[in-house]
Amino acid sequence: MVDRLEALYRARVQEFRRVAAAIAGDRELGCDAVQEAFAKAVRSAGRFDGSGTLEAWVWRIVVNAARDARRRTRPGDPSPSNSLLQGTSGEPSADGQVPLDALTERQREIVFLHYYADLDYAAIADALAISPGTVGATLNAARSRLRGALEEVRT
Amino acid sequence: MNELLDTIVPPFDEPADWDDVLRRARARRAPRRLVLAAVVVGAALVVGPALGVLLTRDTTPRLPADADKRNVVVVVQPLTGRILVQAAPWKGHDGICYLMLSERAGCVPRTPRATLVLTSPITGYTFDERVVSGTALTLAGKRVPLQLVHFPKLAVTFFFRRGRLPLLFKEVALRDAAGHVVVRQVLRR
Repeated sequence: MVDRLEALYRARVQEFRRVAAAIAGDRELGCDAVQEAFAKAVRSAGRFDGSGTLEAWVWRIVVNAARDARRRTRPGDPSPSNSLLQGTSGEPSADGQVPLDALTERQREIVFLHYYADLDYAAIADALAISPGTVGATLNAARSRLRGALEEVRT
Repeated sequence: MNELLDTIVPPFDEPADWDDVLRRARARRAPRRLVLAAVVVGAALVVGPALGVLLTRDTTPRLPADADKRNVVVVVQPLTGRILVQAAPWKGHDGICYLMLSERAGCVPRTPRATLVLTSPITGYTFDERVVSGTALTLAGKRVPLQLVHFPKLAVTFFFRRGRLPLLFKEVALRDAAGHVVVRQVLRR
């Protein structure tokens, strides 16, 4: 079991890190969340019941770890040096980048699981414990939101 | 969309560190053991004294809690000073609560002829108001007088053997003022 986890880690660690960073709002927090999540998976390997794929099970742990990391960063704290949260309340930042805050937490998670990890709707649904239909609807709403924010930046 | 997303979270290129994962996995196990140890120690601290109390608790009978402790009477063996009987009114009842020979305790309702005899040494009570004297019959057939103590407020008479020598008895007889046996109890062994 640990061998399978190691293989998954080595094959997809960059995708895990990218998604975790997006959810946590910080690259270092994201990297740390992935390490913690895999450590937890190693410790909890006996609890994997095989009802879904191992990758979906690990994704769920990674997403939860990233959520926890984001929650530990209180709103009043100064942003980390490499923070991805470059604006507030969905407003484009001064340098023209689209802020992650333009999306809700659920939208952010689905967008990055889809684009960064290349997971299909079913896999995302499995990782987030929601229905595939919710994944599709949320993804469409997130795309619209991001396009709107991008057009605002360009104009 | 992909270009946009690339600008938000650029791809990672830091090397993977599986050893760090394993270190973290191991590091979290130790605190769990510590927590378990703490729980065991905590439980011992909490349960230990209670267990100690349980194991060292004085289990000898005591005068029942229902006894009216303000009106306790005591019968003392005059030769040895040993307390043979403690008795008191039974709160809320017509009867008495007693502790005899520090080995038998209870509360009993008053019934006109109720009598209880304990051995080693012979000690007992009777509610029979006719009783004014008594004897105990040894296995050798010798009659030994009993000493009686009547408590009017409790309307009970306690009796015991005055002598110190340990004897084996087979019968106790309690008599009325005319010398008639009104209570006879054969002692079982």
